[in-house]
Amino acid sequence: MNLRIALAGNPNVGKTTLFNALTGSNQFIGNWPGVTVEKKEGKLKRYEGITVTDLPGIYSLSPYTPEEVVARNYLTQERPDAILNIVDGTNLERNLYLTTQLTELGIPVVIAVNMMDLLRRNGDRLDTAKLSERLGCRVVEISALRGTGINEAAEAAVEAAQIGQTVPMHTFSGPVEHALAHIEEVTVHHLPPQRQRWYAVKLFERDEQVRKQLNLTPETEQHIEADIAAAEREMDDDAESIITNERYLYIADVLKGCYHKKQTSRMTVSDRIDRVVTNRIAALPIFAAIMFLVYYIAVSTVGTFVTDWTNDGLFGDGWHLFGIGSTAYEEATDAYAEQSLWSDALYQTVYDAAESGIPGASQLLDAVESRDFGAFAEVYGTYGEALAEAGYDLSATVDPVLEGAPDTADFGVWVPGIPVLIGRFLTFVHCAGWLESLILDGIVGGVGAVLGFVPQMLVLFLLLAFLEACGYMARIAFVMDRIFRRFGLSGKSFIPMLIGTGCGVPGIMASRTIENDRDRKMTIMTTTFIACGAKLPIVTLIATALFGGTWWVAPSAYFLGVAAIVISGIILKKTRLFSGDPAPFVMELPAYHLPTVGNLVRSMWERGSSFIRKAGTIILLASVFIWVTSSFGVVDGKFLFDSGMDLENSLLGMVGGVISVLFVPLGFGTVKATVATVMGLVAKEEVVGVFGVLDFESMTRIAAYSFLIFNLLCAPCFAAIGAIRREMNSAKWTWFAIGYQCVFAYVISLIVYQLGMLFSGRGNVPGAVAAFLAAAVLIFLLVRPARARTKRAEVCE
Amino acid sequence: MNIPSVIILCVLTAAVVFAVVSVVRRRRKGGCQGDCGACGGCGGCACHRERQQ
Repeated sequence: MNLRIALAGNPNVGKTTLFNALTGSNQFIGNWPGVTVEKKEGKLKRYEGITVTDLPGIYSLSPYTPEEVVARNYLTQERPDAILNIVDGTNLERNLYLTTQLTELGIPVVIAVNMMDLLRRNGDRLDTAKLSERLGCRVVEISALRGTGINEAAEAAVEAAQIGQTVPMHTFSGPVEHALAHIEEVTVHHLPPQRQRWYAVKLFERDEQVRKQLNLTPETEQHIEADIAAAEREMDDDAESIITNERYLYIADVLKGCYHKKQTSRMTVSDRIDRVVTNRIAALPIFAAIMFLVYYIAVSTVGTFVTDWTNDGLFGDGWHLFGIGSTAYEEATDAYAEQSLWSDALYQTVYDAAESGIPGASQLLDAVESRDFGAFAEVYGTYGEALAEAGYDLSATVDPVLEGAPDTADFGVWVPGIPVLIGRFLTFVHCAGWLESLILDGIVGGVGAVLGFVPQMLVLFLLLAFLEACGYMARIAFVMDRIFRRFGLSGKSFIPMLIGTGCGVPGIMASRTIENDRDRKMTIMTTTFIACGAKLPIVTLIATALFGGTWWVAPSAYFLGVAAIVISGIILKKTRLFSGDPAPFVMELPAYHLPTVGNLVRSMWERGSSFIRKAGTIILLASVFIWVTSSFGVVDGKFLFDSGMDLENSLLGMVGGVISVLFVPLGFGTVKATVATVMGLVAKEEVVGVFGVLDFESMTRIAAYSFLIFNLLCAPCFAAIGAIRREMNSAKWTWFAIGYQCVFAYVISLIVYQLGMLFSGRGNVPGAVAAFLAAAVLIFLLVRPARARTKRAEVCE
Repeated sequence: MNIPSVIILCVLTAAVVFAVVSVVRRRRKGGCQGDCGACGGCGGCACHRERQQ
């Protein structure tokens, strides 16, 4: 038995949830319309040889969007054996509009009324038996989310595919039926009777694609045009509107006897929530608060806790199993530090260094004041050399104390970290020194540094998946439409940005749904400003290593991206290239619902696991590349290999040194920061990987924030640049996009760094002048009047 | 270099070759690189559509 069943229905009615339940697939589900834009196939569980096809959500069989074209072509040309039409029980009138068209295709139709639980909870009543009788096809009650009625729906669809037949019960008014009869007679009489009506209706609606498909002669076209015009005259309306109106009148009539709405004026829970979260004034602050909370939880609280364990334990020295021995160890180190480290002389030196603005000194001072030995050792490890170079050398007093500190392994149950275990193994087999360095410093250091941030990414993806699945993100597209519209973009541009929080590549690809070419190009250029998952490690690294986990750093990265999009939108829309009114944005807001744990975990894992895969490919290669290029170099005029070579003498250091001049005005003109920024083009996580291989270099907080801004806003990774190239379909536009992003990132970093230095009393005159000039130009571009769109610009398109 | 080092080097070379091949294959394939997972492998992204065309 080889049967094909198509799942068809309006967007966001639960088709993919039902598809997953019927076939055991793991397709992505989102609580906003338009998740599926391509048909997908799977095998029906418990049946042999039955293929289920999940079609994109459509409102009608009139092809206005790419999704509707895909669905219609499949239904009319490939003709499945049965259609399982999923309708939203809480919105029957609109959903049945598609049903009336499906029943005209001559394919057996079974209706699955989804969200019956919600319908009942609202106090509404639906007589499915009566509905079935009136529509001429079987109606089954289901709840795709809870899995009820799924088997019955599958059985009914299989039965319909084998023996079923659906005859449309709906008849249009006299003049229309008269015209349809004429059209059928002259155009599709050769087709099987059950297929004729749909073609006739489409020809009556003057559907261009159907006209082309049927290859009508001019005489036939003239003939049917006369019939349509006669009906239009009689009905005093255009053909398409006549059909639409009559379908809705028919649906209202069908529902009159079988659907009872409890209270039409009562607001649903979703309506009540929407009154608050889409409120004209409160919507944006609520969105800001929610996104702040998401990033705060992911990066600064839960995420940090897990990432600390991954970085310091799993990919670090090790950890105390279940914390056994941690307290005893802390007490021992506190007592040890009290006895041998803390002194007035140490305090005074660190205090003086902090007063002089030496990088890391203020963090060290915090550790001394709070008498936190662990924090002191960590900060000293990072900034010790910088302090010594600045004349605050603590090595004589601190180094012996750190060397003699209690060993963690002597307390409780100590589990060594992966680098320790690998190191022990390599020592055990007497591995060659350079190979040991390649494995431990290059690969484990680089790949481990990236993998260490996976827990934080997973927490972020879980929270974002919840916001998407419960229906909140769809509201944000609606809320953002109001804001985006002010500077010339529509809410449609928000969807690619929403997807871009996972990865910029599908974000850029998602811009295809924007019909307006100017808006599409502008969206492509700005989508990657949003901090994608791969940029999260950079944010975390800066937030924890240089800002000591300060609460505002991580959320600011997200809002920086949004602000960059808004500012770019205003600037670009005022240019001749992008001027023009934004396209209208229509989006149905789905009802809020609690997502299932399975869907959330699946979504989180699908996004997060790709970063683990990436660590085994691109990050591994990049780590080896960095290790090799930093181990070969020129020392005393000789080209040689030394795994412990000074970075400045290595090939990597020499190239980085040349480029680093560019970043001096931004505060991070060092070889390591430059190498990290350039390697970020391979994959943004590699910025962190570079610091894993090359050790973290001291930076001031302002320079670190400038580094963060530049890396968040500059050109994305090569994969995303490739996506820009494909979507722009023009090398010129691709270079323009990359150039714009780099210049924009440079200008913002310059302003932040130079003005930051100026206000902290460490600025310099040329830098401040450059920053003020850049800020003035930016403000001018923002406030200058918009250019009128000229005819020439339109012709150029 | 002793035998264990040679074995480790061989394993490492194999891993690097595998990584290169998988990256090159994916880049050649064009469209979706399949490594971001943002779509959850739904096949609903525009790049997937491009590949089908």
